[in-house]
Amino acid sequence: MGWISLLFLAAVSLAETKVKGPEKLLTKHAVDAIRYIDGDGRVAYIRKRPGVLGIVSSFRSEEFVTDAPQSDFLVIGSSYKRKVIVEVIKNQHTVFNVMRSNKLMMFNWGETKGKDIGFGMATRLHMADEWITYYQPEKRSIIVKNLITEKDFTVKLNPKANPFFIPDVTMVSSDLIVYTDINDQGLASVISYQMRTGKTEVVYKSSQTGTRMELCQQDNYLAIGEFPYEGVNRGSKILQMPVMSSFNLGGFTTLYESTEQDIGNIICLDDSIYFIKTMNQSPELGLKTTDAVKLVLKNSQIIQRTNMGNVSQLINMDGRVLLPSRGSFYVLEGEYNLSSETLKNPTSREEKL
Amino acid sequence: MGLCFSSFAQTSPIDTPASIDYPGLLETFEKLIQVDTARLKKKTELLTKTGKNLSDAKTVTNIDLEPDFLNSLILHSDPGYLRVAGQGKCRMADVIITDLLRTADGRVKNVIITYVNKDNVRETSVLSKRDFLTKVVSVECPESMKMIDEMSLKNLDATIKKVNFELPTGEEQCHSIHIGWLNDPRTPYLCQIHEYISEANSNAGDPNDLAQRKALARVLSGKMSATNREYLANICSHLDEEKLFCQDFLYVSFWNKVANGQASRIYAEEICKKALKTTTLSEPQLRECLARMKKESDICLYPAKKAGLVPQMECDLLSAALNYSSFRSDYSDDPATSDQLGVTNMGRIVLNINKTPVRPFEGPPSVISAAETFNFNDGFDNTEKWQIEACYDNMVTNLEVCQQTVIGKYLGLRQSYTNVVEDILKRTRGAEQNISCGMTSELEYNPLLLKYKSGCHIVYNPETCQISNCPHKIIYNDRAITHIRIKSNMSMDYFPLNIPSERTSQHYLLANDFRRGARSMGNLSAIITFFKKNRKGVIHGVGCAEELLPSFFKVRAMNQCSPVPFIIDGMIKNEDKTVLVTRTALDSLQAPRLISWSNVFSSVKSYQLLHPMRLWTMYGMD
Repeated sequence: MGWISLLFLAAVSLAETKVKGPEKLLTKHAVDAIRYIDGDGRVAYIRKRPGVLGIVSSFRSEEFVTDAPQSDFLVIGSSYKRKVIVEVIKNQHTVFNVMRSNKLMMFNWGETKGKDIGFGMATRLHMADEWITYYQPEKRSIIVKNLITEKDFTVKLNPKANPFFIPDVTMVSSDLIVYTDINDQGLASVISYQMRTGKTEVVYKSSQTGTRMELCQQDNYLAIGEFPYEGVNRGSKILQMPVMSSFNLGGFTTLYESTEQDIGNIICLDDSIYFIKTMNQSPELGLKTTDAVKLVLKNSQIIQRTNMGNVSQLINMDGRVLLPSRGSFYVLEGEYNLSSETLKNPTSREEKL
Repeated sequence: MGLCFSSFAQTSPIDTPASIDYPGLLETFEKLIQVDTARLKKKTELLTKTGKNLSDAKTVTNIDLEPDFLNSLILHSDPGYLRVAGQGKCRMADVIITDLLRTADGRVKNVIITYVNKDNVRETSVLSKRDFLTKVVSVECPESMKMIDEMSLKNLDATIKKVNFELPTGEEQCHSIHIGWLNDPRTPYLCQIHEYISEANSNAGDPNDLAQRKALARVLSGKMSATNREYLANICSHLDEEKLFCQDFLYVSFWNKVANGQASRIYAEEICKKALKTTTLSEPQLRECLARMKKESDICLYPAKKAGLVPQMECDLLSAALNYSSFRSDYSDDPATSDQLGVTNMGRIVLNINKTPVRPFEGPPSVISAAETFNFNDGFDNTEKWQIEACYDNMVTNLEVCQQTVIGKYLGLRQSYTNVVEDILKRTRGAEQNISCGMTSELEYNPLLLKYKSGCHIVYNPETCQISNCPHKIIYNDRAITHIRIKSNMSMDYFPLNIPSERTSQHYLLANDFRRGARSMGNLSAIITFFKKNRKGVIHGVGCAEELLPSFFKVRAMNQCSPVPFIIDGMIKNEDKTVLVTRTALDSLQAPRLISWSNVFSSVKSYQLLHPMRLWTMYGMD
């Protein structure tokens, strides 16, 4: 595959030296019970008690999934708010298995009647919630499923790769998915798969072992992050690729490149990409000081957003960028105070409910 | 009566001859040695001519080393051996009789002592070393006489067997080991062996008896392994330099230890097979690879057999982690074939405690953890939750009959799946009493081969066969057996999930019934104190994989946590930075990781908030 390397590397400098700490997420619910909360805090999916998932909005509170008390739930939504996927994790505390397939249930946004759609993990909604992808670790397969027609496709990953590898998947058109894979030599790659023809093509391949690829997508671009695994001395890179048309992935530009071993966990927004950057490193022990930074797309400027030193994860939840840390959630982008007692006007969809 | 030469204080300072000037510090020391040489020579000559002859040490009191003689020992001896001598009067006697100390004349031939005679007059006497041994040491230090006997050639094998050549895995532990050697009465005698072998091998000493000395040195060398000889050389050379002694263990590449046999080759085997693209590994190949591992840090990332989480750490970090780890890792339990990471972790802990050899097994390597964990729980009548069962329908009673099982074959374990299948085949297919089932990998199984035409073969896929789920087929006398099925609904409480069932949790069994203790590790100080007190202590816990290994596991939803058990058995402190030597249940036993306290704490804290009892899940075990 021919690709164009438009290397307009901006000098990576930290724009702010004094960093104001992010605000804690404030809600009317206990944060450890929340499984999903939308951008304005009107609708929240809450683990109401062991084995019971409920939905809470301005006007109602309803339990809608009941399972064994040992079960827990993950709720996956998107900013389109048309569907939510619930992953039911059975025996969360008695069966420790990081590569398990969970029961997947689909619900229309805000509704309580849903249906089972399969078993898997690492679920994602795509294309205005019309498509879903999930991973079945026991088969090393990515399942791509249309939620309307229920037609599905299976993409097999490299069979001899890391047994604990979980792919990242995104969908750039209703016929084309892009996913990450790793070969038995440890070389990571980004691959496109055209569902109509079953044709796969390598979009980007790492030139070195010991790194992993990450994907995130916003309306008009796809970002690829290449970051090293812990304990591996490699640099980090973020590439941006415009999504030109349904079948064509354009050439990419390098937005960010560093010799530091960043954690990554990239999150794409309209005008920026959030990721976790290594600010300091002690190479002899592999110790890192990590913080969340914002990469501004228009000028590749890096803005440090936290000063905690031990940031490891970021979550994009309906456009709100959350930073989970030791039982608390900090808000890097979006409204943080959702504890207001003021009753918000119902949306037209809530009225229907 | 008392022999008081434990102190090195010079009771009678050396008189400086008037002719000596002091132009500089270095020259002063040289002059001091000259003075000492002259004085000792003069004194020995004089005492040999006129000195009293000590006939019996029992008749005199306050036996002491003559000050000039003592000064000479201090000036000419190895500081390490002097430090041993400083441990007590008998240690001083030991280092003199083992030829470890030197005077101005070199090796000690005569010992000058002072004592108070029965008329209460202090006298000085010169004794040959033999007389010193028989007249003084035998009276004052009976233990030393016993030691001499133990170190005789006929008893040497047995004595050396009792010596603990313990490899330190942390600074605190190394400090204790060094102190232990300083205080050990065997140290001077063992160092004598080391010095003797070194001298003979370097052709030093009297050339007239070199051939005999070399022959004896060969005999002595044969009494110890090369590893122990190197260990002995290290301690004898660094008795007064603890840091240098420890450096050999803690700061030298772990791969050196593998190369010289101090550490098992299992740590490097899979890495080297991949690096050299070979399926077998000869000794020269291993050495070539170990040399590469010190230069090419990358080659440790992906071992040939991906038994655990990959990439592993780079070779230098892996070496640092292994230098500070003493957890049992002489087998491979293949966490990639484990769908029960709690069982994997427990199996590791149990085998680390009981030290029993891993029994012969067939099937996925995860059968080791499964069998050991099952056995452990069986010992406490706690296998109720082991709900992996082989079932069949009894045609007579029309009932389903199930037997608890452990998938695979583990020697001596009645519940091994192979034994259970044999039992069911005897009941349902009239199989012979001596039927023997074996686990056969799909990759090996070839129905055309004669050996598979008869007997009982459980054919499994090594890629997908796990602890509680193992797709397989049973072939008995060349026919597929379809009436035996596995039912699996295993759930094991690693830490207590509620009060009523607390006693059935693995942690409770370990801490109480197995008496390994349970100290909560809630902060870094607790961990540092724990490892100071428990050199071989182990911390176990459960935390969220997403916080413990953030580059491997990404959070995609709020309050997402994939609990993963882990074991910490060491820590490295470098100024104000501390990392913990951690084996998550995902990691290969031979490839621990260096994980920051911050990540470990975050992972346990996040799991605590999702735990039904809000339990802190990290404890130290003795």
